Amino acid sequence: MSPTSRLFASFIAVALLTAPAFADDTASKDVKGIYLLTDFPAVTVQPGTTSTISLQLKNYAHAPERMTLSVDGVPQGWTATLLGGGQPVEAAMPSTDGSVSIDLRLDIPKTAQIGAKTLTVKAQSGDTSVALPLTVTLAKDLPAKLSLQPQLPELRGSSHSSFEYTMTVKNDSGKKLLVSLAAQAPANFDTSFTEAYGTQEINAIPVDAGKSKDVKLKVTPPDGVDAGNYTVTAKVAGGGASATTAVKLDVTGEPKLSLSGREGLLSARATAGQEASVPVIVTNNGTAPAENVKLSGNAPSGWKVKFQPDTIARIAPNQHQQVQALLTPPAKAIAGDYVTTLDAAAHGNTGTANFRVTVTTSTMWGIVGAGIIGAALLIMVGAVARFGRR
Amino acid sequence: MPREGSPWRGLGTVILKELSDHLTSARMRVLEWLVVLTALAALYGAIQSVRDTTAQDPFLFLRLFTTAHQPLPSFVAFLSFLVPLMAIGLGFDAVNGEHSRRTLSRILSQPIYRDALLFGKFIAALATLAISLICLWLLVIGLGLFLLGVPPGGEEMLRSLVFLGVTIVYAGVWLALAMLFSTVFRSAATAALVSLGVWLFLTIIWPPLAQGIAQALFAHSDEATMLIGGQVLARLSPSTLFGEVVLAILHPATRSLGPVYLDQLQGAVMGAPLPFGESLLLAWPQIVGMIAAAILLFVAGYVAFQRQEVRA
Repeated sequence: MSPTSRLFASFIAVALLTAPAFADDTASKDVKGIYLLTDFPAVTVQPGTTSTISLQLKNYAHAPERMTLSVDGVPQGWTATLLGGGQPVEAAMPSTDGSVSIDLRLDIPKTAQIGAKTLTVKAQSGDTSVALPLTVTLAKDLPAKLSLQPQLPELRGSSHSSFEYTMTVKNDSGKKLLVSLAAQAPANFDTSFTEAYGTQEINAIPVDAGKSKDVKLKVTPPDGVDAGNYTVTAKVAGGGASATTAVKLDVTGEPKLSLSGREGLLSARATAGQEASVPVIVTNNGTAPAENVKLSGNAPSGWKVKFQPDTIARIAPNQHQQVQALLTPPAKAIAGDYVTTLDAAAHGNTGTANFRVTVTTSTMWGIVGAGIIGAALLIMVGAVARFGRR
Repeated sequence: MPREGSPWRGLGTVILKELSDHLTSARMRVLEWLVVLTALAALYGAIQSVRDTTAQDPFLFLRLFTTAHQPLPSFVAFLSFLVPLMAIGLGFDAVNGEHSRRTLSRILSQPIYRDALLFGKFIAALATLAISLICLWLLVIGLGLFLLGVPPGGEEMLRSLVFLGVTIVYAGVWLALAMLFSTVFRSAATAALVSLGVWLFLTIIWPPLAQGIAQALFAHSDEATMLIGGQVLARLSPSTLFGEVVLAILHPATRSLGPVYLDQLQGAVMGAPLPFGESLLLAWPQIVGMIAAAILLFVAGYVAFQRQEVRA
């Protein structure tokens, strides 16, 4: 080996220890010669896989030369192939101030022993020779690891609201994972996962290695669920790893009012111009007491609707109270069926019932009619008495 | 000479004799066949229409009476036209026929009062009409059962029975009118012509004429007054009254027979049938009007007959 080539070899070592960018920027001015470079001269791979190491053969201010390429120190059973432009190559020829990209493909058998091996890639011409030692460490893969973190773990709302928890799924493993999503909730609670800013329901979401993604867990309690605290457990799993987190729902109760007639009857009878009393039962089917229940009615124009009493102070859950609705159709109402809406309202909760009121008219004119017929008969009797003759 | 004793003496004899005369007369037979054949045609058309269209109607049987199948009018329309014809046919020569046959003084020489004679003639003619109308009604119900295969409901039967009764009353009005003219006019032909003329006038000409008169009378009033005025005038005709009763009784969804203000309909459930009692109450003034008209026309005829010289 000539003194210059020795100098080159020592220079490569320096360049490899610092950074390739340093070699590119500063060495291009003062440095001359041919170098064999790589970004990571020491790599970790798994047995039974194929890995590719990118190399570069650089020529700084040197005449183009044919460089023969070779790999030394390949362990038993391994296959090391130098690829250029996708094909196996045995020599390269970088132009002046140019470079050639070369890939070193390593096929490592499954049976290869764990430990570090050193391979040396060499490029040789008549008087120049450069060598690049590469340390290949065989190791098992990193275990997958997931984490799940809710942003707001405890929410409060009524049984009608839906509880939405935004959660962050983090993939702490070395590769991209398809993470499946599941939630365990009390009976009859409805759960679904969506993207953080989407409406599409999802069962699984891909998460890149080392990255995190936000998902939204939506929990809908069943209608009329008792007030109280409930726990929902969310679970993510993928690549043999899993993570769980518990979120809490604080369901507050609310009254739910409904109206009906006695025995569920929703029809009533009323005579035109006269007040009719209809018993109305107000029931609270909710989970909290209804306070200060106001009763009102929406009847056709000309009708009068009153309640006796018109306010109920308190109805406990699953209890009912009876009031009298006083309906007065106008005196000129036409006989037939009419629809009247009765409402019971307490704190924004309204119970409504449509009553079908059959209006009947006064029978007074019927009696008048009978009187007219009677008068006609009287006239006949009078005529018979007055004009009767042989 | 004033009457002594009950005016009803001999009434039964007169009724039976008149009834047997009516039921065996060729005139009655022709009229019956006319009514039965036309009614059957209307009924058959109605059954065809009912089968095709209104299978879900809760008042299917009432549709038999009111459904028209082109080109035939409905059963009710036929009846409202033919019942007056039958009644006039039976009544136009009730009294003047006796005059022209010179049998009146012979009858009155029997222990039968004039009252009983006129009552008997009226009741016998009305009974004849009632018999044929009841037969016709049974025919409709029977054919309806046979061809539709659906039994009528209780309310349908009630409504159709009321309809039957109203039709008999309607026949009574025209019978009383015909008997009045048969008393007033000595010639049977004159009485028949006048009766038919009055019938045609009241049935065909009067309803549109009433509208015209109302428009002239209430020219400066609002629309509602004009409508109500026209209706009041039109109701002077028994045909109009009969038509309105039929509408109220056979169409249970009818809520009013007069004009209705829009605010009276607010909140009303349209198409819901009225209870039977309400429908009857709705038609009651019209029914009263017809009954009273029949009685008053009969009384007019009675007074005219009592004051008449019979020994001619």
